[in-house]
Amino acid sequence: MSDEASHETRPAHGLDAVDVSDLLRSVERPGSGFRVATTLLLLVLLGAWVIFGRQLLYGLGVTGLNQPVAWGFYIVNFVIFIGISHAGTLISAILRLSNAEWRRPITRMAEVITVVVLGIGGFHPVLDLGRPDRMLNIFSAGRLQSPLLWDVSAITAYFMASTVYLYIPLIPDIALLRDRGARPQWLYKFMAWGWRDTPRQRKVLERAVSILMVLVIPIAVSVHTVISYIFAMTLQPGWHSTIFGPYFVVGAIFSGIAALMMVMIVLRKVFRLERYLKQIHFDNLSKLLLIMSLFWFYFTFSEFLTAFFGNEPSEMRVFFYKFSGPYAPWFWGMVVCNFLIPVVVLSFRRLRTISGIFIASTAVVIGMWLERLNIVVPSLANPRLPYPSGFYVPSLVEWAMFVGGIATFMLGFVLFARFFPLISVWELQEGREQAVRETMERVESYLPDPRPRES
Amino acid sequence: MAESGTRTPGWIYALQVASVAVMWVFVLGISGWILHLNRLSQRLHDVPSATVAIPIVAIPVFLTGAAVLTYVFVGLQRGARAAGDESGEAR
Repeated sequence: MSDEASHETRPAHGLDAVDVSDLLRSVERPGSGFRVATTLLLLVLLGAWVIFGRQLLYGLGVTGLNQPVAWGFYIVNFVIFIGISHAGTLISAILRLSNAEWRRPITRMAEVITVVVLGIGGFHPVLDLGRPDRMLNIFSAGRLQSPLLWDVSAITAYFMASTVYLYIPLIPDIALLRDRGARPQWLYKFMAWGWRDTPRQRKVLERAVSILMVLVIPIAVSVHTVISYIFAMTLQPGWHSTIFGPYFVVGAIFSGIAALMMVMIVLRKVFRLERYLKQIHFDNLSKLLLIMSLFWFYFTFSEFLTAFFGNEPSEMRVFFYKFSGPYAPWFWGMVVCNFLIPVVVLSFRRLRTISGIFIASTAVVIGMWLERLNIVVPSLANPRLPYPSGFYVPSLVEWAMFVGGIATFMLGFVLFARFFPLISVWELQEGREQAVRETMERVESYLPDPRPRES
Repeated sequence: MAESGTRTPGWIYALQVASVAVMWVFVLGISGWILHLNRLSQRLHDVPSATVAIPIVAIPVFLTGAAVLTYVFVGLQRGARAAGDESGEAR
């Protein structure tokens, strides 16, 4: 009997009504909080763009950028936002691929982070151009030999793959909203793509998700590797390093996990999702964060030890600029935030509370931002060529765009939560229906086969 | 599940087909752009060998993404139609 002929359509979402209502609260009962948050964030964003207007009128002279420090906040923020995007698709894909059952309430938020921050991060090089209209030149006369164009290709591919990877597993939940009469109905009818939860449709969906989760992992790794190449392919001291690719990927996953936990903790509180985002989810992610902290320290140590042993004059200028020079507070701040705080907080069960995890995650996001600052500015301030050393102080315009970027990130989440569930309802349901049985079968398959009976 | 809620009006179906078409326009546009840059480097003798890798990697990724999306769209429409036929209901 074929799937269709069996005429078996699964019960749409067998979670009990209270569960579904809880999970759809932000869509069905947004309340005044949504309007207040959206208005405030739009005002912040508007303010940022008004201030940015000065740059459009007067050019990059209104920023703190100068010779030789031609890259500053815009590129730092570009790298950190793209790095955070690894939270989503990569972590979600790895957890799905490895059948980690605890992933179910987490994946959606992770995927949303990716799409939102990729959009923000990808826009920052345009801000850095000074003349944004010149962006159009890459269509007619871009040079594919340049790592900057590799970035454009890789980020565009990642954005497309992540958007598709966010959308496809969202379809059953959109159909649920359509069937519950959520407004705007036309939007849910349009986006549900005729989903009726038949076995055949389930099969198509599962196959597509399987293809995508394999596809996005190499893309995600390539994106941050390629971003590291815009530094490593130059002969600048502090940048020309063979380990920059993996170093950037490790840093990206590190900051991504931290950002994901921050978002989870805030949304858990705001939307009262304590029943779904439990301590065990934070414990598991904390262990990943702790491992990544150790990896990050290992890469940083290797990078600096190699430079120190080489004792090359131009490298040493950058080295001491960070260790004991003008950037020492930021360098040591980075070490404290990325290594000391997470290792101390996350190693001890007593400190690994939700508040402790929030502090450690926030420290890591700040620490990784400082790391990007430490990579970008000191090398430019101490060039290999015989130019005088430079210094960089960001201007109000750059700070405004930084705040604007954060506001856009928050606005992206607020708007997503207004129209779509932040936790995948159908995946939770699938977990309840099938995962326990499948996990038991899987565990049994790991164990030695029963000894054949002796005759 | 409210059956009436699952029926898709014609104009929404047209919009869905258009969204998939837009995706293909985007993907083919990007692929065309990458190939244009590749040809430009060959014409200008501007290290053409270095420009080969990007099209080889990027174009299949874009095409795969669009193909997966199309596969899902077609698969879901067929599934919906089959289920509709069985319940004696038009799309």
